[in-house]
Amino acid sequence: MAEAVTYAGSHAEPDHGGHSDTGHAPAGLEYHPGLPLTNGKLIIWLFLSTEIMFFAGLIGTYIVLRFGAPTWPLPREVHLSEPIGAFNTFVLICSSVTVVLGLEAARANKAASAKMWVFLTLILGSVFLGVKLYEYNAKFSHGIYPWKPHSLIYEKADLNYAAAVRLRLGDLDSRFKAEEDALKTSLPAETADKDPALVEVREKLAVIKELTEYELKQEMIAAKDPSNAVRHVALDEMAARVMPLPTGHGSHEEGLNDQHSWLRLPIVIPGGNMWASTYFLLTGFHAIHVLVGLIVFAIMLTMTLGVAAAGMVENIGLYWHFVDLVWIFLFPLLYLF
Amino acid sequence: MSQHADGHAAEHSTDSHGGLAQYFYVFLALCVLTTASFFTYSDYWPFHDQPKIGWAFMMAVSSTKAMLVILFFMHVKYEASWKYVLTIPAGFMSIFLILALVPDIGMRGRWASEERQQFMADPRVEHKAPVRHSESGRDHSTEAPAGH
Repeated sequence: MAEAVTYAGSHAEPDHGGHSDTGHAPAGLEYHPGLPLTNGKLIIWLFLSTEIMFFAGLIGTYIVLRFGAPTWPLPREVHLSEPIGAFNTFVLICSSVTVVLGLEAARANKAASAKMWVFLTLILGSVFLGVKLYEYNAKFSHGIYPWKPHSLIYEKADLNYAAAVRLRLGDLDSRFKAEEDALKTSLPAETADKDPALVEVREKLAVIKELTEYELKQEMIAAKDPSNAVRHVALDEMAARVMPLPTGHGSHEEGLNDQHSWLRLPIVIPGGNMWASTYFLLTGFHAIHVLVGLIVFAIMLTMTLGVAAAGMVENIGLYWHFVDLVWIFLFPLLYLF
Repeated sequence: MSQHADGHAAEHSTDSHGGLAQYFYVFLALCVLTTASFFTYSDYWPFHDQPKIGWAFMMAVSSTKAMLVILFFMHVKYEASWKYVLTIPAGFMSIFLILALVPDIGMRGRWASEERQQFMADPRVEHKAPVRHSESGRDHSTEAPAGH
């Protein structure tokens, strides 16, 4: 479709002034059977227009959900690091530049240099995904998951939350008691008390005992009058001990969950569940798009990227710029809002 | 389409735009703009107590960045009018998609049942007590009591 076709059907060069060589068409007019672009580019643009709607739908849903929510966590409350997000933005911008330089090299028929730029893009894209993986891990280690069996997030420190903490402590208590019993029977009686495994389990049991007493005390205070401010103070204080919500830049106070990583007590992040759902959905779909791009770049590395492949490099580049574009909006919306 | 066609299209676009220097300037602008939106995070940003100013600023910066990428990296500036056919309807559809969500999703908090409200997070204090005129989204003194 790149070539313009006169209405008599013979092919003509697209930009030579519009003279038809058949004599039938009026001078200056040419009949275009479709859009003046290659099939590949037309398809990628059609695909991108569906992608525009896809991501606009997702980002729009995020905005609508967020501003309709009674409260929304601040980035630092959900362990998002703004500098890391900014770094990833920079990485993607660089990768957009390398892909466009690859296209220029391919157009100039410098296949080796085009391949070098595509390789660099692949590296930068991998760095982006690596950083994303690291960030996901940081969320998971704090019990922030988008689904319930793993997610430790509670919306507020109410009696439900207190009960969840009590249940978790009870579970841990019975698990470690069983472990203690198993160790006691398997170890020789004289040396058992000095065995490091047993000592560790007993230390854990002591922590659980102390925390259970504390939890019961707070819950009792709260249960006296579940509607009053005392309940708020008692249970909010407990939630803050489990995982304090950070109050300033980078000042992350250690909570019980940080001090004892095996505890994994329920945590309170107001608005945290909806946040986790939208965050993982948006960044997850974006990461899948990055991954697809990386696979295509890896395949491209097996080809000769001369002028004959310039159209392909351009089309993949368009896709990659779009992925960059989505991140340009995701970064401020997720990290800085 | 044939390789000939691809090569041909390529010749046309290289003729019509600014080349490597232009890419460099666009890259520079993108870096400066990223720093600008990151600036809202720093302590030097003067409007921490009015988050809406920061939001508007960041959206303006992001839209500028998006336009730079679309116009120069995606070469849309140099394309023929078909670009409007493929992008404007999709853009409108996106806007309708978002607007359609507002009544049911955006305003869900207004008619949540009492039972549901029990399990919803408490609104931030500044929304509860407009008397204080505190728009601060960063004030946590009432939510996380100083613990230990």
